[in-house]
Amino acid sequence: MGEIKDIRKTKRLQTIVILVFVCGLTVWSAIGTDFSFYEVFSGIGLISNFVFLDLLPPDVSASNSLLDAILETLYMGFVGMVIGAGIALVLSFLAASTTTPHPVIQVVVRAFTSIIRNIPGLIWALILVASYGIGVTVGTLSLILGSIGFLTRVFADTLEEIDTGKIEALHATGSNYFQILAQGVFPQFLPGFVAWSLYNLELNIRASTIIGMVGGGGIGFAIQKGIKLFQYKEVSMAIILVLILILSTEFLTSKIRERII
Amino acid sequence: MEPVLKIEHLTKVYPDGTVALSNTSFDVHPGEFVVVIGSSGAGKSTLLRCINLLVEPTEGDVIFKGEKVNQSKSKQVKHIRREIGMVFQNFNLIDRLSVLNNVLHGRLGYTNTIKGSLGIFNKKDIKEAEAILERVGLKQQKYKRADELSGGQMQRVGISRALAQMPRLILADEPIASLDPASSKNIMDHIYNICQEDQLTAIVNLHQVDVALKYATRIIGMQHGQIIFDGHPSQLSDKVIDEIYDTKKPPLVNAQ
Repeated sequence: MGEIKDIRKTKRLQTIVILVFVCGLTVWSAIGTDFSFYEVFSGIGLISNFVFLDLLPPDVSASNSLLDAILETLYMGFVGMVIGAGIALVLSFLAASTTTPHPVIQVVVRAFTSIIRNIPGLIWALILVASYGIGVTVGTLSLILGSIGFLTRVFADTLEEIDTGKIEALHATGSNYFQILAQGVFPQFLPGFVAWSLYNLELNIRASTIIGMVGGGGIGFAIQKGIKLFQYKEVSMAIILVLILILSTEFLTSKIRERII
Repeated sequence: MEPVLKIEHLTKVYPDGTVALSNTSFDVHPGEFVVVIGSSGAGKSTLLRCINLLVEPTEGDVIFKGEKVNQSKSKQVKHIRREIGMVFQNFNLIDRLSVLNNVLHGRLGYTNTIKGSLGIFNKKDIKEAEAILERVGLKQQKYKRADELSGGQMQRVGISRALAQMPRLILADEPIASLDPASSKNIMDHIYNICQEDQLTAIVNLHQVDVALKYATRIIGMQHGQIIFDGHPSQLSDKVIDEIYDTKKPPLVNAQ
């Protein structure tokens, strides 16, 4: 009995310590950032002024010129996904423990893609703008890099989850490495390949808006330009178009995913 | 008659220290239907997998048709594997491919890399695969996806894939362990009859002693990685069965 009580006491003590710690951390960061509720509420008036007077109503007449920009964003996201998925497909077979030709190759590819992945698309765009100048090329390149980093990782994880018994069965027939990859591994990998690539398309379209703002072209660039020129009604129109684009890709990709899997 | 398979002092120790096989030796002659019995973990699966080198033995030799399998180069191993068909407990079919395609996987070892990878098989192989499917009663199902079949049907595809290799030897690792009794009988009948008709040699791992007694021309009993019985089914006494399955229970009440 005594022992059970002791455990309850230590558990309660743990909870209290954690609570105090979290509260302390919150207060400390609030002081550090000069956060105050007064400021938050006093800002509401300005925000509503900005939203209702400057942003609204959206300038529908601008939608024609913005349409080109939004299509650019869509192309960038799509090209980024297709090229990224193609390269990631090859890399992931090298990076998965189940399919890699050699463990050293696996470690090297994993490390390489992990570096690519952990540099955000935004940073890639900033680096690339310096060498390619502002434009769609930069946006597309940084999306390709981002896609390679993300897709290699998830593809490799998918490859590592496939049923090794089925691979064993193909080994037993005397098949060679490439035959086993194509006939045994790939059919099992296909649904994951399609689903993750479609999800990557969604991510790319979202990211390309942000990347556009730092010089990657597309709708992001148009928004940035609008803000700089105080053309807020055009900006709000662009934001609405971005929302429509993102929601419709999400809807479409989920429909395609349902069909394929 | 020359044995088709010679197992000599075969030992397998896994990296974690588990001794799955220790110093096992036996010969298999053409036409034999050998059933290996033993409880889980007795080393039956490891034994079968050492024969076609899915598992690399630690010591000892596997000699198939006069060739040392375990000392062959990787290309030679693939050539030997073509002649050894394997049937698995979980069928191990590629779910999303058609039944016919799965059977044709048995021909991959005979097909060149590019054609095989793309799933292009020659007409003769396709005809042969269709004939095999007809033989196991799955002609109607040949264009269905493998995962649309029932367990018993899947295992018949598994057998067909092994047969497509035109093997000399069939290895079956608990082929009926995931099946209901009716399908089990059907599958065992198929394996047995095909081996009889095509004069194939078979080594079958089984859990069920009664099934072993019904089909085997020879029974090997294993325990803790060693062979403790090897002989004609008629020689398998209850005492030996108890020993193999370790079912000799201590008395409930100690007489002392």
